[in-house]
Amino acid sequence: MSVEADSREFERFARPHAAAALRLARTLVRNEADAQDVLQDSFLRAFRHFRGFSGESPRAWLLSIVRNVSFTLWRKQERDQIEEPEEAAEAEPDPGPSPEVRLLEACDAELVRAALDRLPSLHREVLVLREMEELSYREIASILGVPVGTVMSRLSRARAQLVKELVGDPRSKA
Amino acid sequence: MGASNEHPGTALHAYLDRELSPDESREVERHLSECAGCRRELETYGALRRLLRSARSSAPEAETALLRATRTVRLRQRRRTVAFGGAMAVAALAAVLALVLLPRQGTGIENEVALMHAHALDAGRTVEFASSDPAAIEQWLSARVPASVPPTEGGDGFALRGARIDSLEGRRVGTLVYQVRDHLVDVVAWRSPEPDMEPRPTVSGRWTVCRWAHRGVAYWMVSDTGSEDLKALAAVIRSRRT
Repeated sequence: MSVEADSREFERFARPHAAAALRLARTLVRNEADAQDVLQDSFLRAFRHFRGFSGESPRAWLLSIVRNVSFTLWRKQERDQIEEPEEAAEAEPDPGPSPEVRLLEACDAELVRAALDRLPSLHREVLVLREMEELSYREIASILGVPVGTVMSRLSRARAQLVKELVGDPRSKA
Repeated sequence: MGASNEHPGTALHAYLDRELSPDESREVERHLSECAGCRRELETYGALRRLLRSARSSAPEAETALLRATRTVRLRQRRRTVAFGGAMAVAALAAVLALVLLPRQGTGIENEVALMHAHALDAGRTVEFASSDPAAIEQWLSARVPASVPPTEGGDGFALRGARIDSLEGRRVGTLVYQVRDHLVDVVAWRSPEPDMEPRPTVSGRWTVCRWAHRGVAYWMVSDTGSEDLKALAAVIRSRRT
């Protein structure tokens, strides 16, 4: 198999997931130039290994490479620190009255991107993978290298935190 | 899962994400039918989902990046083929890496111009329309690239060989191909209001790249020949346009 044919096949393999890869890179590094570097490096790495790929989700595989490359960049820069209170401290759902849905519906894309940026990156990425890329818990778990249960709990915290960023904490208003 | 009067907590998220078994889903639904608080929470996260989907950015640059990566891979292979002996292969690979990594500190586009040239050589499609007649080339180009710059004929050792269509920074551009001795020089020209700028060639791996501007037209030139040739060609083009 020639490099010419290999590279064309890789284009077909990666093209459906290219936009998702760039969006994840943008989620994990904060400026566009870095995101483009991460993407480029990820494609080159993926090309070297895609012949041996035998998993079920090319998208999850490619995104896990993007994540690894982003982390390499992170280590050089500064990584967000958040503690992960494993499976603990999940608050009772708050039944207090709140017009959250109406407030959320009044938000625009600009506002939600700004709110996402204020979240720790571990929360940001899980939201992007689930809500924007529509990946399953299993796919997300394989990208993040954590158990499915952790995906679920992290996602629940991330959603709660994003709602709080957007509409405020209902409990604090009580 | 506990009794239906217990709040589902994180399982509510799994329910929203359709990650529960049918039995577990029924359990959550039974709870939802009795608990207004959890119903409201579910609606909130549903609204959050719609909001996030609406904020999903399109990423057309991703595809350009993919094509650039595969082009790099092919270029690398071509260099391996051209080089003979292990040391040569290593040197060529280092040159490619330098080409890919270095221009970041200058402009990314220099890199892209060099890759464009390398790729054309690599694919054996140096010209798509072979002609030394500027009028014929102009006609061919203007049918393909809007507002293309009329080509100037060669001279002073430079022969116009033809043109092809390339993509540069996500734009469709017309590339003119000149030959000096046994070197090909690619020239990309487009209209630009920027002030005149002298050509100052830089060497990027085995390619010499330079950008300049003259009378409302900006140029990129790239070749495996030296800086002096690029400056000389710029002078020829300038003299034909005055």
